[in-house]
Amino acid sequence: MIIWMIIGALNTFILVYFNDFGFVISILESLIFNILFAILSIGIWYPVYYTDIEKNRFSNFFTNHLAASSLAVGIWVWLSYVILTSLFANDEEYLNYLNSSIPWRIGIGFLFYVLIASNYYLFIYYQNFKDKLVRESELKTLVKESQLSSLKSQINPHFLFNSLNSISSLTMISPQRAQDMVINLSDFLRYSLSHKNESLTTFEKELQNIDRYLKIEKIRFGHRLNVEKEILEPCLRYYLPGLILQPLMENAVKYGIYESTEKSNIYIIATCSPEVLEIVIRNDYDPDFITKKGEGIGLSNVISRMKIQYNRDDLIKINRMDKSFEVKIFFPQNL
Amino acid sequence: MEKVKVVIIEDEELGRELIKNYLKEEENVEILAECENGFEGIKAIQDLKPDLVFLDIQMPKLNGFEMLEILDEKPEIIFTTAYNQYAIQAFELNAVDYLLKPFSKERLLDALKKAISRIKINQPRTDKINKLIQQPLDEIIERIVVKSNTKIKVIPVDKIRYLEAQDDYVMIYTFEGRHLKQATMKYFEEHLDPKEFMRVHRSYIIRLDQVVQLEPYGKDSYVAKLKDGPTVKISKSGFKNLKEKLNF
Repeated sequence: MIIWMIIGALNTFILVYFNDFGFVISILESLIFNILFAILSIGIWYPVYYTDIEKNRFSNFFTNHLAASSLAVGIWVWLSYVILTSLFANDEEYLNYLNSSIPWRIGIGFLFYVLIASNYYLFIYYQNFKDKLVRESELKTLVKESQLSSLKSQINPHFLFNSLNSISSLTMISPQRAQDMVINLSDFLRYSLSHKNESLTTFEKELQNIDRYLKIEKIRFGHRLNVEKEILEPCLRYYLPGLILQPLMENAVKYGIYESTEKSNIYIIATCSPEVLEIVIRNDYDPDFITKKGEGIGLSNVISRMKIQYNRDDLIKINRMDKSFEVKIFFPQNL
Repeated sequence: MEKVKVVIIEDEELGRELIKNYLKEEENVEILAECENGFEGIKAIQDLKPDLVFLDIQMPKLNGFEMLEILDEKPEIIFTTAYNQYAIQAFELNAVDYLLKPFSKERLLDALKKAISRIKINQPRTDKINKLIQQPLDEIIERIVVKSNTKIKVIPVDKIRYLEAQDDYVMIYTFEGRHLKQATMKYFEEHLDPKEFMRVHRSYIIRLDQVVQLEPYGKDSYVAKLKDGPTVKISKSGFKNLKEKLNF
């Protein structure tokens, strides 16, 4: 707006000063030319908006803008000419001047077009840039949140604080057992914290960590926790994503042991063919005390991790039986 | 001074050992029993009438809160738990203290001191706990604990067909039988999953998938026929809500 006023004033000044026309004529002619162009410039938004620099080839870009600018300048000069000739029909000196000025007005028109179009491009570019910044920061928070929640899910606070309480108790009863448990817990936590997403590890290492975990829970729950393992030796060298079994074990302990007043079993069964490692984790449970809300975040995390890792969603089978709950999970080996 | 009679209810052996150890040198404390779960806990409290109970919250099948709910006479309670999500509930229950595991000996003795001073005043325990326990959780319940004579029963919400108000009690009709519980209809209306249950009348809450048929019954009132026979009354607004929900 301000820019247009300055241009208008300049135009008037030039006319008065160099061409010796009356003040009224000068103002009117400058107003008409400039207001018309200002209105037209709104229209220039469309060719700019629909002709993206990055998405169009140069030739395409050039023809589009040539066509648009010719049209805009044509309309501008013609409309101004029509209005001015009808306004000043009897002022011959001015009409002569107007006729002779058409070529350079066309030139100025193109110049204005280029200026305005580049302004619009700058504006669009700036907007896109701002949007991009916002999107990027949103993405970053998302990634952070998921990292944080996975960290939180790796270390279950009930498990941690109850284990610390057991240690606190053992320090008075049996310092040796307390020390064993501290070392076990430290190894377990170290393994959980050092793990990087998407990296594969051997079943053997994963199983070692599960054993540490079960040893700690065994100290807490004593006779209530009973683990049965059926693992074929060659399967130990197979690969799977690190810490993928941990949430399943925690679920088995949570629904099988935490909710049981008597001895309760957890089974870990591993079989393997050349292409695939198959692991079954099964726990006893009492259906009278646990309702359908038993699946929880742990399992859904494992499902989504398997999906991301192998790009398949048929690798987990959940089997809810009368008095036991079973998760069967397949790890393809030839990747 | 008479000894303070204590019961420890905690499902982990080492947890019980810890409390016992901390209390070992307290001469005015007598540990009457140690219980592994809520069922044993109820029996011990009813039989031995302790002054003070150390109560773990997370325990199998019957948690600490559920256990308190069905006790008529309640001793002083010191909760012990690993996680602070229950702190507000515990204080609403007028508990003496709330110990976060692992806790120090000083912390436990401090709680004990508070408990002893309360016991000395010896105010008769009101039934305040029963009222308050009705709205501890602002969430959907999964099971309901009831008491019939001396037996304790835990009913999974999945097994409920409908509920009927009976003065200060609610009769819970399950697929196998019925149980009386001291509670309000409002409590169940707020804590049963609204996707599965609906209050259709001042005196009735029904499981939606049990409805077979809706019939008018006199002026401005209706009845719902449930699977296998029983019918329940439905108010005018209940009828409207039910029709919307079931797309009848």
